[in-house]
Amino acid sequence: MIYKILLIISWIYVIFGVIGIFRFNNMYARLLTGSKIDTAASITIIAALIIRAGISQFSIKLLLILLFLMVTNPISNHVLARSAYLNGIEVKKEGKG
Amino acid sequence: MFLLITMVLIVVAMVITSIRMIIGPTVWDRLLALNLISAKTILLLTLYGSYTDNIHVLDVSIAYGIIGFLTITLLSLFISRGGRQK
Repeated sequence: MIYKILLIISWIYVIFGVIGIFRFNNMYARLLTGSKIDTAASITIIAALIIRAGISQFSIKLLLILLFLMVTNPISNHVLARSAYLNGIEVKKEGKG
Repeated sequence: MFLLITMVLIVVAMVITSIRMIIGPTVWDRLLALNLISAKTILLLTLYGSYTDNIHVLDVSIAYGIIGFLTITLLSLFISRGGRQK
């Protein structure tokens, strides 16, 4: 029962992630969807699956995937933002977007 | 049943992200879309593994996670070094 609520929350995250890609206009705002919203969606989904699987070998592997995703997703977005900043897009100072 | 809806939602999100990959003005938008798609593929594999209660699919998703992470890192390194024209 609990995992259903978590899954519904993850739907909201995924939908916001997709909306976020097209709504933000400059590159760095769009990176937010890749790093934050996507990691939050994956945390919610895998937490829901762990609760659904209960205590078993299955949930240990799910925990491993959860830790792996929580580490690599922000790092890969950091590498992306760094390469975009170093030789591409300058950070515009205007407030919106 | 809920897992099926989540899987369909993630597939739809991947299709829409691939549209951003096609439109994307700069190379980094395309890299961002690739990163999103690989993260969502890991989620899709995990969901499918837990939907069919098959533990080996989870190993596939871990392997794909490693490859996806390496892809993004090496591609952005390649681009930040100026790519081919140097």
